[in-house]
Amino acid sequence: MKLSYIIREGIIGISRSRMPFMNSVFSVTIALVFVGIGILSVDNGLQYIGDLQADYDLEIFLNNESGMKETRQIAAIITEYPGILRVEYLSKEDAAALYNAEFGEDVLSLLDDNPLPSSFRVNFDENHRSIAYIQSFIQSMEFLEGVDEVMFKKDLFDRVQGIMQKVYTIAAAALFLIILSTVFLTANNLRLMILARYEFIEAVRLLGASDFMVKAPFFLEGGILGFLGGIIAVLIIIGLETALDVYQIIDLPIRIMNYPEVILGLILFGISLSALGVLKSVRRMLRFVA
Amino acid sequence: MISFDNVHLRFDTGISLRDLNFDIEKNEFVYLYGPSGSGKTSILKLIYMDLFPNDGQVKVLGHVSTGIKRRDIARIRQRIGMVFQKFRLLSDRDIYSNIALPLEIQGHKSNEIRRKVVHVADELGLHSRLHHFPHELSGGEQQRVALARSTVNSPDIILADEPTAHLDEKASAEVMEWIWKIHAGGTSVLFATHKEHILKQEPARTISIDSGEIIQDRSV
Ligand SMILES: Nc1ncnc2c1ncn2[C@@H]1O[C@H](COP(=O)(O)OP(=O)(O)OP(=O)(O)O)[C@@H](O)[C@H]1O
Ligand SMILES: [Mg+2]
Repeated sequence: MKLSYIIREGIIGISRSRMPFMNSVFSVTIALVFVGIGILSVDNGLQYIGDLQADYDLEIFLNNESGMKETRQIAAIITEYPGILRVEYLSKEDAAALYNAEFGEDVLSLLDDNPLPSSFRVNFDENHRSIAYIQSFIQSMEFLEGVDEVMFKKDLFDRVQGIMQKVYTIAAAALFLIILSTVFLTANNLRLMILARYEFIEAVRLLGASDFMVKAPFFLEGGILGFLGGIIAVLIIIGLETALDVYQIIDLPIRIMNYPEVILGLILFGISLSALGVLKSVRRMLRFVA
Repeated sequence: MISFDNVHLRFDTGISLRDLNFDIEKNEFVYLYGPSGSGKTSILKLIYMDLFPNDGQVKVLGHVSTGIKRRDIARIRQRIGMVFQKFRLLSDRDIYSNIALPLEIQGHKSNEIRRKVVHVADELGLHSRLHHFPHELSGGEQQRVALARSTVNSPDIILADEPTAHLDEKASAEVMEWIWKIHAGGTSVLFATHKEHILKQEPARTISIDSGEIIQDRSV
C-alpha cells in the first residue's frame, strides 16, 4: 500500500531529523501560545468591560397608584416586545430592601408609607442593543397607562458600547499581526527542517516517486508537528492561568478550559499552519528537482 | 526504447554535448564508453530526464522528454533502474530499506517487497548487510546496494553509471555477472564505463564518446 509508505516515511522523517522537528514544534508552540493568549486577553477584557455596565439596560418605574392588574398587563407587554432578553420585577418591598442595603437606612422607619415605586428592569439581547432600538422601546413604554418614568443611562451605555467597539477593532488588528508574524516565524523554521531533507526528496523523486508521493509524508509530518505544537500550547496556557490563580494575581472570568472551541481552534490552526507551511517548502524544493 | 535524435546539450559553462544520434532497442546491451568528462553521466541524465536537450529530441519508453509532465517523468523512472555514479543511497535508513524504496514507492505488498529484497541481496552478496547503514559499508558494498536497488523492481531498462568503479576484480566480475543475468531476463542495459577491459571481457555494442561527441557506434 502506498498509504503505508506515506505513514512510514512521515514517521521516519520525524525520527531521523529530531532536532529540526523539535525546533519546528517549538516555534509552532510559541506561535500558538501568543495567539491563544491574544484571544483570551480580548475575551477577558471584553468581559471585564461588560461588567462595568449595569446589570440591566434600563429600568421602568411604575406609578405608585398602579395596582396588581395593571402591573401584570405591563409585564406582559414588556415580555412580548421583540428583542427583550430578560425582565425582572422589583416590588415596592424589593426597592425598600435595596435602598436599605445601599444606604444602611430603613425607609420604612423614616416614613410610615413606602415612597419607593415598583419597577421592571429590562435587558435587551445582543442583536437589539442599539441606542435607536432602545429609544423607540422607551417611547412606546412611556405611553402606557401606569408607567411613571423610564430610566436609561444613555451616556454610560454609549460609552461602554464605544469602548467595546474600540477594543474589538484594536484586538482584531493586533491578533492579525500576531498571527502574521507567527506564520512567518514558523514558515522559516519549517523551511530549515525541509532543507535538511533534500537528500531524501531528490533520491525518491529519481527513483520514480510522483510529486504527490514526495509531498504526502511531509504533509503528514507537518500535521503531526502542528498537533503537538497545539497540545503543548494549550497546556502552557492552562499552566499560566493556574499560576495567575495560585499567586492570586488576577481572577480571570474566561479560561481556556471552559472553551473547548478555543482549544480546538488553536490545535486546528497549528495543524493547518504547519501542514501547509511544510507543503509550501517541499513544493519550493521540488522546483529544483526534475 | 531509447532514441536520441540530433540531441544537443549546452551547459552554462560553455561545455556541450553535440549531435547525439542513437537508438537502443528492447533487450539490447550497450556500453557507453568514454574517458572522464566525455559526457557519459550527462547522457544518462538526459535519458532519466534530469537534464533536457537544448536541441533535438530524447525519446524514452514512448515519451519525448521535451515538455513532458512531471507525473510522466515519475512513471518513466519507475520503469528504469538507475545505478548512480554517486550511489545516492539514503543515509537515514538501513540497506534493506534502501533496496526496498523503489518497491515502496510503487506500492507493492510488504511480503512481496521482503521476498524481492532478500532475493537480490542474496544474489549480490549483501544478505549479511541488510540491517547495516550505508556509512557502515565499503564503497564497493555501497555500489552493490545501488545496483540491488536499481534491479529489485525488474525494470525495462537499466542505466548503470560506472557500476564497477569501486570494485576489485572479483567483486566487479560478480556485478557484471548479475547485470548480464538481469539482461538475459529481457532488460535493456546501458552501461557507462571508462574501463576498456570491461568491454573486452563481455563484448557488446559500444557507443564511444569523447568531448561530448559520439566517435564510434560499433556492434559486435
Ligand atoms: N551541471 C553541469 N554544469 C556544467 N557543466 C557540467 C555539468 N554537468 C556536467 N558538466 C560538464 O560536462 C562534461 C561531461 O560531464 P559528465 O559528468 O557527463 O562526464 P562523465 O563522462 O560522466 O565523466 P566521469 O567519467 O568523470 O563521470 C564535463 O566536462 C562536465 O564538467
Ligand atoms: Mg560520470
